[in-house]
Amino acid sequence: MSYSAAKNSQMQKKLRQEAKALLEQGKVDCIIGYEPGSLKHATTPLITKDKAATERLVINPFIVNNLSNFLPYTKGRIGIVAKGCDSRSIVSLIQDNKVKREDLFILGVPCSGLIDVSKVEALVGKYRDEIDDISRQGDIITVKVGAAKKEFSLSQVMFDNCLACELPTPAEYDVLLGEPTSPIGAAAESAGKLDELKAMTAAQRWAFWQNEFRRCTRCYACRNVCPACYCKRCFVDETEPQWLAPMPQEPDNLMFQIIRNLHVSGRCTDCGECERTCPVNIPLRALTRDMYDIVDELFEFKSGMDTKTQPLLTAYEVDEAEDLVK
Amino acid sequence: MTQDSEWEPRLLGLLCKWCSYAGADLAGTGRKKYPANIRIIKVPCSGRIDPLLIVKALRLGFDGVLVSGCHPGDCHYQTGNYRARRRLAITRKFLEGMGVDPRRLRATWVSASESGKFVEVVSDLVKDLKEIGPNELFGGKKQPDAEKAKTGS
Amino acid sequence: MADSKKVRKEDLAGLLTEWSRDYAVLAPSRADGVARMAAWDGEDISFLDWYRNTINPVKSLFLPPVEEMFSISRNERGHRIELPPKDDTGCLVFGVRPCDARSLILLDVVFEDAYEDPYYLDRRRRSIVVGLCCTNPCDSCFCTSVDSGPAATAGMDIMFTDIGDNLLVEGISRKGKELVAGNATLAKATRTDENRARKIRLAAEKKITRKIDTGDSKERLLAVFEDESFWQQVSAKCVSCGVCTLLCPTCYCFDINDAMTGGEGSRCRSLDSCAFSSYTKMPMENPRADKWRRVRNKLCHKYEFYPMLFDNIACTGCGRCIRLCPVNWDITQVLDSLPAKHESKI
Repeated sequence: MSYSAAKNSQMQKKLRQEAKALLEQGKVDCIIGYEPGSLKHATTPLITKDKAATERLVINPFIVNNLSNFLPYTKGRIGIVAKGCDSRSIVSLIQDNKVKREDLFILGVPCSGLIDVSKVEALVGKYRDEIDDISRQGDIITVKVGAAKKEFSLSQVMFDNCLACELPTPAEYDVLLGEPTSPIGAAAESAGKLDELKAMTAAQRWAFWQNEFRRCTRCYACRNVCPACYCKRCFVDETEPQWLAPMPQEPDNLMFQIIRNLHVSGRCTDCGECERTCPVNIPLRALTRDMYDIVDELFEFKSGMDTKTQPLLTAYEVDEAEDLVK
Repeated sequence: MTQDSEWEPRLLGLLCKWCSYAGADLAGTGRKKYPANIRIIKVPCSGRIDPLLIVKALRLGFDGVLVSGCHPGDCHYQTGNYRARRRLAITRKFLEGMGVDPRRLRATWVSASESGKFVEVVSDLVKDLKEIGPNELFGGKKQPDAEKAKTGS
Repeated sequence: MADSKKVRKEDLAGLLTEWSRDYAVLAPSRADGVARMAAWDGEDISFLDWYRNTINPVKSLFLPPVEEMFSISRNERGHRIELPPKDDTGCLVFGVRPCDARSLILLDVVFEDAYEDPYYLDRRRRSIVVGLCCTNPCDSCFCTSVDSGPAATAGMDIMFTDIGDNLLVEGISRKGKELVAGNATLAKATRTDENRARKIRLAAEKKITRKIDTGDSKERLLAVFEDESFWQQVSAKCVSCGVCTLLCPTCYCFDINDAMTGGEGSRCRSLDSCAFSSYTKMPMENPRADKWRRVRNKLCHKYEFYPMLFDNIACTGCGRCIRLCPVNWDITQVLDSLPAKHESKI
């Protein structure tokens, strides 16, 4: 199904009705969705118990947050708006017993991909707030700055992870808000930094990452927006023993991110939130994507695809990875 | 890579207490000679090994890490080594992707009676590490020197 | 604008080179992919075209994200403690935006108040802050609501304003006036230049449409302080990361840690964030274990506690916390939504 603004507003209308009804009928205690953000071309999570607030719910190509991140911290029965990628995170949380399926009402959004505003900024040489309009019709994105109008293709402006999306329509849902969509199917164009890195020598790769992490602020936005990072106490907050220095210094910044990736292996769905939220633009998705591919290559495992699968690191096959052992 | 002829790699061994640690012990009581480059930490099961321990060892400057558990099917807790194997495979592959020589992380199975194998594996790893050279990944910081710390010298 | 000077844009590099003789000159750069203050490379002034503000606020030059306080090494007799080598070079930061310059005034008070913080104050004393008037503020900026504005000069030694082919140059502090007065590269500004600057500043001020009433925010916050349901709602979407605090120009919480390996290493001070659940965990537990308490603290510190102590709002309206927030949590919306004093239950 190709994207159209009309279909999108149909979905939005249905979402508002469903969400309102869920609250009215007491089927859920709260709704987690998106509402317009306070910045241009942005949305913000809406977490509400108020039926009137459901009128503010939106669906558009800027619903970037992975809302499943809120689930382990939200009490009661929850109605949650989920794109395909979010639904995978939800499924992963269910597999890990962090949330119960019966406590969720999943409002599935068949997603046609999200627009990466920072890509648009780079393409038109303007900042987010200087861009007057970004709209999508079919597979063309039109960007307006003043009187000037430019058109871009999906692979130019969609998030890298959207280009490689394997599940645009949630597999797990209670109500699907529109007709299923098909993947953009531009995986070849989605690797971002990863292709560059693969062409480098090992020493160059390590030097690249050392340099990137020099500017890490240790704000932990990557960890805190990650649905797979739900530990009540993260290893970086341990003091006895102190695994790494709790301050933004270079070798530890890098070590933190290595461990974080190892800890979420098999649960990371390549949703891209860590990279999107990094205030200092560290290309984190080159790490998460690599891990995603490694897990798939070694164990034919794709995280969050169905609730019945055992989590990657709690399962095993008797005959696997033996070539590792010498 | 050319090295200072005096340079000796340091490696950390994370050994399962039920098999590999006993295997190492047997090598000692059997007066088998193995390189003194290894520092050993006894773990309750190879399944206990968080990748954090491996990366931390590299952060501290160890040139290599040896993880050794019971042979498949022999785990004291039935499945710990199978789980470890998955985790280690991922860790090694991921570190390789970032630019770490995968030979720095060696996994093996050594039973309580295989003191010979233990000696072999350690010797082989030391040989590998001599080829790879010192670990300067995290700024080449020295690892804590146990002797020095004890005597305060 | 009485004694204002000007410099042609093509001469700016020359002026900075001149200053480089006496000072380490820092200027906006995006060499590593993020806009930040970095050692000026000796020629690049392209930031005049692209620069709006840095990701790291100017505080990071004076209260760095991490700094070594002293190092600890060992010898035959035991441990040896060494202070980092003393740095006496003066530092000239070019292009500081008015919001960030103002933050220095707010921070100075803190670091000279109950005790004098030598690390911060030493760097401050060695610094010259050269401001650059804002001509293209962001939609997240709200400086005009917190006693600042795109042309405010508080905290600056010198202010530059882009007036087309030239930059208008004004000495603000005594230090700044001296530097400007004795400089041969600077020409006297004409009345036309000054008028143009005035117009540009007015236009910039008009661009700031995000406005909040901060007149009685202190009282309103006090009134709503105990209202848990209000704060629960306000904090619901916060993910407790450190973006808004670590990158805030006025947040100054720090932590002290030893980075030791094998009995040697250093004692470091680094920024901390009250948004973290592990904040102040070193003596015991975080007294603000609930997220809503942490969000409340962040807001109240800026708009209630600090003003009680120092008569100023500890926010400069730079908008970083709004535009960099992973969930677009918006401090101005929250302040707007505070119930008026008489509406509150308490």
